[in-house]
Amino acid sequence: MKRQLIAAVGVAAMVVGLAACGSDGKKSDGDSKSTSASAADKYKGKTLKVWLMTGSAPKGWTDAVKGDFETAYPGSKVDFQIQEWDGIGPKVTAALSEGSVDVLEIGNTQTAGYAASGGLLDITKDKAALGGDGWAANQNEAAVLEGKQYAAPWWVSNRVVAYNKDLWAKAGLTAAPKTLDELYADLDKLKTTEGVVDPIYLPGQEWYTYFGLLTGEGGKIAKKDGDKWVGGLSSPEAQKAFETYKKLQGYSATGPKDKDEATPQQKDVFAKGNVGAMIGLGWELPAEKDMAKDKIGFFPLPGKTADKPSGVFLGGSNLAVAAQSKNTDMAKDFLKVALNDKNEGLVAAAGNIPNKAALNSQITGDFAKAAQTAAAVGGITPNTPNWASVEDKPNPIKDFLTAALQGGDYAATAKKYDDEIAKRLNQKQ
Amino acid sequence: MAVHSERVQAPSPDAGQAVVAGSGTSAAGGGSKGAAPKRTRPAGGPGAGARFAPYLLLLPAVLATIGLLGWPLVKTVLLSFQNLNRRQLVMHLTEWTGFDNYKEQLTDPDFWAVTGRTVVFTLVNVVLIMVGGTLVGLLLNHLGKKMRLVLSIGLLMAWAMPVVAATTVYTWLFDQQWGVVNWFLDQLGWHSMADYNWLSSQYSTFFVVILLIVWQSIPFVAFNMYAGLTTIPKELYEAARMDGAGAGKIFSLVIFPNLKPFFLATTFLEVIWVFKSFTQVYAINGGGPENLTRTLPVHAFLEGSSGQHYGIGSAIAVLTILMLGALMAYYFRIMIKQEDEL
Amino acid sequence: MRRSLFGRTWPNVIAVVLFVFFIFPVYWMVATSFKQDRDIISKTPVFLPLDGTLDHFTTAVDAPNFWTYVLNSVTVTVGAVLLSLAIATLASFAIARMKFRGRKTFVLIIMVAQMAPWEVMTIAVYMISRDNDMLNSLLPLTLFYMMMVLPFTIWTLRGFIAAVPKELEESAMVDGCTRTQAFVKVIFPLLAPGLMSTSLFGFITAWNEFPLVLILNKEEGKTLPLWLSSFKTAFGNDWGATMAASTMFAIPVLILFIFLQRKAVGGLTDGAVKG
Repeated sequence: MKRQLIAAVGVAAMVVGLAACGSDGKKSDGDSKSTSASAADKYKGKTLKVWLMTGSAPKGWTDAVKGDFETAYPGSKVDFQIQEWDGIGPKVTAALSEGSVDVLEIGNTQTAGYAASGGLLDITKDKAALGGDGWAANQNEAAVLEGKQYAAPWWVSNRVVAYNKDLWAKAGLTAAPKTLDELYADLDKLKTTEGVVDPIYLPGQEWYTYFGLLTGEGGKIAKKDGDKWVGGLSSPEAQKAFETYKKLQGYSATGPKDKDEATPQQKDVFAKGNVGAMIGLGWELPAEKDMAKDKIGFFPLPGKTADKPSGVFLGGSNLAVAAQSKNTDMAKDFLKVALNDKNEGLVAAAGNIPNKAALNSQITGDFAKAAQTAAAVGGITPNTPNWASVEDKPNPIKDFLTAALQGGDYAATAKKYDDEIAKRLNQKQ
Repeated sequence: MAVHSERVQAPSPDAGQAVVAGSGTSAAGGGSKGAAPKRTRPAGGPGAGARFAPYLLLLPAVLATIGLLGWPLVKTVLLSFQNLNRRQLVMHLTEWTGFDNYKEQLTDPDFWAVTGRTVVFTLVNVVLIMVGGTLVGLLLNHLGKKMRLVLSIGLLMAWAMPVVAATTVYTWLFDQQWGVVNWFLDQLGWHSMADYNWLSSQYSTFFVVILLIVWQSIPFVAFNMYAGLTTIPKELYEAARMDGAGAGKIFSLVIFPNLKPFFLATTFLEVIWVFKSFTQVYAINGGGPENLTRTLPVHAFLEGSSGQHYGIGSAIAVLTILMLGALMAYYFRIMIKQEDEL
Repeated sequence: MRRSLFGRTWPNVIAVVLFVFFIFPVYWMVATSFKQDRDIISKTPVFLPLDGTLDHFTTAVDAPNFWTYVLNSVTVTVGAVLLSLAIATLASFAIARMKFRGRKTFVLIIMVAQMAPWEVMTIAVYMISRDNDMLNSLLPLTLFYMMMVLPFTIWTLRGFIAAVPKELEESAMVDGCTRTQAFVKVIFPLLAPGLMSTSLFGFITAWNEFPLVLILNKEEGKTLPLWLSSFKTAFGNDWGATMAASTMFAIPVLILFIFLQRKAVGGLTDGAVKG
């Protein structure tokens, strides 16, 4: 608490300075003193509404940012509203149409859609002031549409293999596998180890892992052919990725072929102690009370060769300003505080991959370190406004995985769901 | 749908009488059935304000219906002629597209599949509910005091469960791995069910959804049935029995004719409620697997709200209303006719 | 035939089976909410949570703004029910006791209004509320919930009013009461049980409503169904907490049902006298 306060005061001083020079080119750089005085006061009595998704902001981040901002601009208020995932699409659309939110967190795969809807403010001019020059290119890609910056990358994360150290030791395994073949061999050993039900737990609809494998094969889930999108499940790369996925899923004795990682929550299954490994994100791990942290080890899902791991899906979040916000200047200044190196460092320290490669050194934790290795070979979904509708229930990629895993003819199944993906991507705005 | 014959009638006591939880019985102090049809004199004195009194009394209800139901309904119809997606909603744009949304739906085989499925789904549910509810009602009437109380408590609990909570519980009961239903079937010796995934196929998903709806709907029918049964004079049974009537005859000669208004009203309500049931179908499996359990309201919601194609969603909504109207037309005729008879 | 087959035992056996069938899901919900996580995710079901825990209830109650949502839900639900009862009593008295032109049209409208598929009209309702600056407020919710239950309430109350013997009202008027007085003094007291049981339907509808509040009220104006669904986040179901929340969500309705049912039917046991 005390440390946080000191940090906050320190940063506040820094922010005041930053805000002063960052407050666009209109004012002369000359009298920074008077500018900063009025700058500090300019949001007096105003409240900034910020929407974050549940479970997204690291612990302490919201307090730190709120503290920093409100200290930098006395009399202002930051109101964080935590949103649930259920029905979030229409809810965000509604909020953007009302102008009832100023800053909002948007999933990186969804950003293009909201940008195209006209709901997000174009912040191309503010990119530099937000520290945009240092942003990781593969993260920033998802915040840009047709050359315009509609959001600021905040963080990404990717899945790694989490394994039960006790069971692996029991199976006589000491080193993390370097290739998929090594992993298969390890899983075979686990299979015959007493007390192991699932050598690895992998439900059939964990499409993020499949997407990563596809990216690793150099394939794309969908491609633009002329001005039409076509699904990529029929491509040879996709089929190769599927073979890998199928093989891994085959090691999952209890992983249902038609469920995703959330039903049941794979952390609950993993915590039972009879599961050798699972593929998941940092927050998908069992709580300390269910399984001690030091019992869990991590390694990136290995690739076919030892030189690089399998590809991963770079899921993450961007921060955007609502176009109809009545406090756009305040919102931009908020982004400056929220995304400064100190606060972004908190994001890294919580085990996420920060928006700047320069901050990667601040990443802590075994999970994040394993994740960071794989992030370099990570990819995101096609950056097109309609992408979000592909992820809408029923997600054709999930249904494709189920159908193909249940023994459907690959070509026919892939064709069917490619059509569905194309249909969704090509629908009119 | 313009059935207004304006013949002045004495009010009907029956349509809704037995409808809520048998309360009609005690409210009426028993056989209201006997009292009502006797009335022939016109109601209300010819006082000065009397002519306007009924209209004044109806005014709040009419205003509410126009403002709170009519307006959204008209708005829905208007939206159904628009291209209204995320962009148009955010930017407050209005793009008229004529009948495009309707054309798209009416030429889409998926829409017709959903429509047919919805009708079958409704019929299956309503038949199960009416038969089950009637039987349970008869059983209630047949039981001793204590057992009746026990069964009533069970029925009451199921009936009172908020749909949102009930749906969640059913998902949990039928969970593939940790669900108690699969465990139970396995214990009974049906081992292939130990790891059965109820949500993996159309029929098994419907089984869960229908079980949930029937489970929650039977108490309403049963309580009403029971309440209705208590209003039938005992002499009627005895007379029938004296004539040598068996259980089936008693039902068809004594119970059914006496409770006809009850059967009409309850079936009417159940058809509407089941047809519209949204939470159960949506929350159990989201219309899956592969959209095979979508019913019309769920279809409209998924296409409209989730898919953020609000114009299309509104068109499906309008079509849903029309379909339900068509399904109910027969009923409206009967019920309006009943207004005439009484 | 009926007597011998349907003797003393069989009805009771069937009644017990049915009792279990109807009550088990409710029991399972309550039981699960008290179980430790390891007993919830367990291959062999634990039927009696003997080493129970209150953790899940703590989780459920500790959710942000829980008490605000409780207050909102109660306000909206009670408001909607009382309003609909008031409006419906007037209207149903007119259609049950008076003759006038347009009565049948009104009855037809009421029947048709019951068909309104509210779930699919949410976007229209949303746009109306938005354009009238009524978002994040409890008023539109109360009004629309009222409208959702109004047709049914009118329909049901009309039956109750019609069931009150006309002679009672007439004799009161002979005794010098005006029609209004006759209604207040004679019909209304007899109507009380009907009003109460009718309100159950309104209560449960408004208490449960989800799709509309989801899009209308995104901030302080949220209600309990949104809170209930929040345990099903993108990260999966926390079954213990979900069941605890469901239990807490169901309890007010269960209590109300038990209370009002006894009042309305004069006790479930009373019926036994006639049977």
